Amino acid sequence: MAPEPLLRVHNLTKRFGQLVAVNNVSLEIAPGEIVGLIGPNGAGKTTLFNSIAGLYPPDAGRVTFRGCDTTGMLAHKMCKLGMSRTFQVVKAFDDLTVEEAVRVGAYNRHSEKEVAAKVEEVIAFCELTEIRHHRCGDLGLAPLRRVELARAVATEPVLLLLDEAGAGLTATELSGLMAIIRRLNQERGVTLCVVEHVMQLVMGICQRIIVLDAGEIIAEGSPAEISKNPNVIEAYLGKRAVL
Amino acid sequence: MEHLAQSLINGALMGCIYALIALGLSIIFGVMNVVNFAHGEFVMIAMYGTFTIGTMLIMDAVATPIITIPLLFIFGALTYYILIDRTLRERYVTQIAVTVGLAVLLRAVAQMIWQARPRSLPFSSIQGNLLLGDINILTSRLIAALVSIVAITAIYFFLAKTWPGRAIRAASDDLDAASLVGVNYRSIYALSFGLGTALTALAGGLLMSFQQVDPTMGLRFGLLSWCVLALAGLGSIPGLLISGVIVGAAESLVITYWDPRARLLVVYLIFILVLWLRPRGLFGRK
Amino acid sequence: MERRLRTFRLLPLLAGLAFALIIPLLLGRNQYAMVLATTVLVYSVLATAWNIIGGMAGQLDLAAFAYLGLGAFTSGTLLLRWNVTPWIGMFAGGLVAAAFAALIGYPLFRFGIKEVWYALSSSALVEVLRIAFLMWSNIGGPVERYIPFHAFSLYHMRFASYIPYYYIVLALLIAALAASYRISRSRLGYYLLALGQNEDAAEALGVNAQRCKLQALMIYAFLAGMTGAVYACIYGYIHPSFFSAAQSTEIAILGIVGGMGLVYGPLTAAILLVSLKEFMRANLGSTLESLYLAVYAVILILIALFRPQGIAPWIRNTFARGLARLQGGKDGARAASARP
Repeated sequence: MAPEPLLRVHNLTKRFGQLVAVNNVSLEIAPGEIVGLIGPNGAGKTTLFNSIAGLYPPDAGRVTFRGCDTTGMLAHKMCKLGMSRTFQVVKAFDDLTVEEAVRVGAYNRHSEKEVAAKVEEVIAFCELTEIRHHRCGDLGLAPLRRVELARAVATEPVLLLLDEAGAGLTATELSGLMAIIRRLNQERGVTLCVVEHVMQLVMGICQRIIVLDAGEIIAEGSPAEISKNPNVIEAYLGKRAVL
Repeated sequence: MEHLAQSLINGALMGCIYALIALGLSIIFGVMNVVNFAHGEFVMIAMYGTFTIGTMLIMDAVATPIITIPLLFIFGALTYYILIDRTLRERYVTQIAVTVGLAVLLRAVAQMIWQARPRSLPFSSIQGNLLLGDINILTSRLIAALVSIVAITAIYFFLAKTWPGRAIRAASDDLDAASLVGVNYRSIYALSFGLGTALTALAGGLLMSFQQVDPTMGLRFGLLSWCVLALAGLGSIPGLLISGVIVGAAESLVITYWDPRARLLVVYLIFILVLWLRPRGLFGRK
Repeated sequence: MERRLRTFRLLPLLAGLAFALIIPLLLGRNQYAMVLATTVLVYSVLATAWNIIGGMAGQLDLAAFAYLGLGAFTSGTLLLRWNVTPWIGMFAGGLVAAAFAALIGYPLFRFGIKEVWYALSSSALVEVLRIAFLMWSNIGGPVERYIPFHAFSLYHMRFASYIPYYYIVLALLIAALAASYRISRSRLGYYLLALGQNEDAAEALGVNAQRCKLQALMIYAFLAGMTGAVYACIYGYIHPSFFSAAQSTEIAILGIVGGMGLVYGPLTAAILLVSLKEFMRANLGSTLESLYLAVYAVILILIALFRPQGIAPWIRNTFARGLARLQGGKDGARAASARP
């Protein structure tokens, strides 16, 4: 008997005026998975992502998370329920230190007494110990991404949505990030859904990949299957690349 | 029934002037996203300027804009370069702190130069009455309203058809893109600020033909112009005129039918309700 | 390395407190000096309370005197009509102010009113109250309602000298500082700071924006309301002019210019700037009546332009650099003066 899916998207459609950004998309994420969501620019990944995360309510369809209907639910309620997200354009707490930023997230599930311990734990886990007292506004992109991730990790999510967490990172920074994500999944059982353009990250850590193009799912499968799928190649590189 | 029509017309005419003042604010806020807490004080300074020039040169209030408009335009541009330009990179609260400081400064200067008692100009050439049936219209208000409408229309065409005007609109839409096509943002911003301030000079001249000025006028006109702007929303000049008329009419009705002391109360309540229920305004784009 | 935003050094604070306690002993005979000191304290309480909603949560509230006025009228009316002591009236005033804050705060935050529009709403609100109380002849009205004079009555909170008032407001200030400090170390404080920095990110981390902002607003309103009750006793009357938009704006400016988010930031600005202003008013007021205001305004503008982070961080950094220079020479100074 397969375990109950953690997240279910039923026939989700989102329009912006005349443009149908996401067209009747359905998908499932099982607990413990790392699922990748990829597709060429304008495929609708971010729109789908934001519709699931509650940034804008979909025009049609439903989102079910842990058995509850979370369609269009407010962000903070979803966080309490166990779904956290990061942002594509980092929304940093400029004037706070790294430690303070993580603490904000830690308060999600911890009381005053426990919160300090949680903060220590997350800082160690996400390798932020050297920069813990630095002001977020002074950090470079890679450490900032890690802080963004750490904040979300501190909320103890059951499902973590990462929005282009790998963009703009060097190869070393990328493998560091991937290691943290892997540990999150294996050591803590956090389910992840990763929207990405950086193929190294997607192929490296995702167990299952869903490919979007023009608002619809065109392929789904393991990294090996996806990289050989002609529809996928065509979507990214055009018809002639397949031939 | 005549009372109603009389009240409405009086209010509508006043509203045209409010719209003119709000237009100045709209250019500054709409283009640069600069919160000018001193806009009401600009109107006050314009009125005092009109008073001084009118008294010294024995000029009619309605003629003074010839001098005050260029003066206030320069004043606005200078204010931009000296005060506002530096704050563009900072948080918006810094801008507010600077413009509030400017407002206090202008108020204090006005009090030092002209003292606290109200000042007014002697009989203006446009004062008089017009009788339409049972309705008594003050010609000063009528002419002031007409001039305001003409000015608003002129600005509308300026922004729509001329190159500087379109540059201003481009800068308000997308500064980076505008820069790419050769628009120097500093000049545009200074131009916008100067233009917005210059409009208060015109309004000031018109107002002085039938009103007094004292150092507390700034607060009243400041909140009034923000109110009209909020009601109209950003991006529509005709909308601004209509909103001005609505606010003016509402104020006038309150004076006639309720209590003269409550006139600003209703305006402020409208303001708060609009902000809560329809932040885009009645005609706003964004 | 110290935490940036909410450093709260205990030693200078205790020193300041000790100093504040003995001021009446030093200046007590000079009535004018006591008036000045009490005024500075009143502004300090309001600015410190303001910091909770304005500095931490980043909502630019320009309605401090709306809540003060409500507190004043509640306590004053209770005293005038039913002889209720202002010691109880203070809390009643605070509650009324907080209730009013909840009433308008709920729709404000529900509709997501922010930044400029929040500031303008709140400014309009003070004016609405002023005019409403001016017209409400039963409770308010255009004429001052005088509170009976007593040379020394604890029950009526009326004293001939300013010294007792000084200590009462000082107690309020300590309460406000303690409240700010407690909040800044708690979940609410961190949540408010996060909201003030980036509301979207905060909400994604589980922060209920509406509820937190409302709580902050109510705490601030309560403190301002309590201050209003004392304010009425100090001035000896209640009048709709208490609902002053200009003074409310000034409180916010003190908060901005002092250093938003720092517990003692607005306090610093209040002490330095209000003293300066009143001092100038006394000495320059005779020549040209508003000259002192003009100078004050120029100073405000200069601080906002050249020290946008605020006075308190600037003072702290200057001290840190000076201290480091004494200890370790140039390198120490460079390390200590990290950009605020």
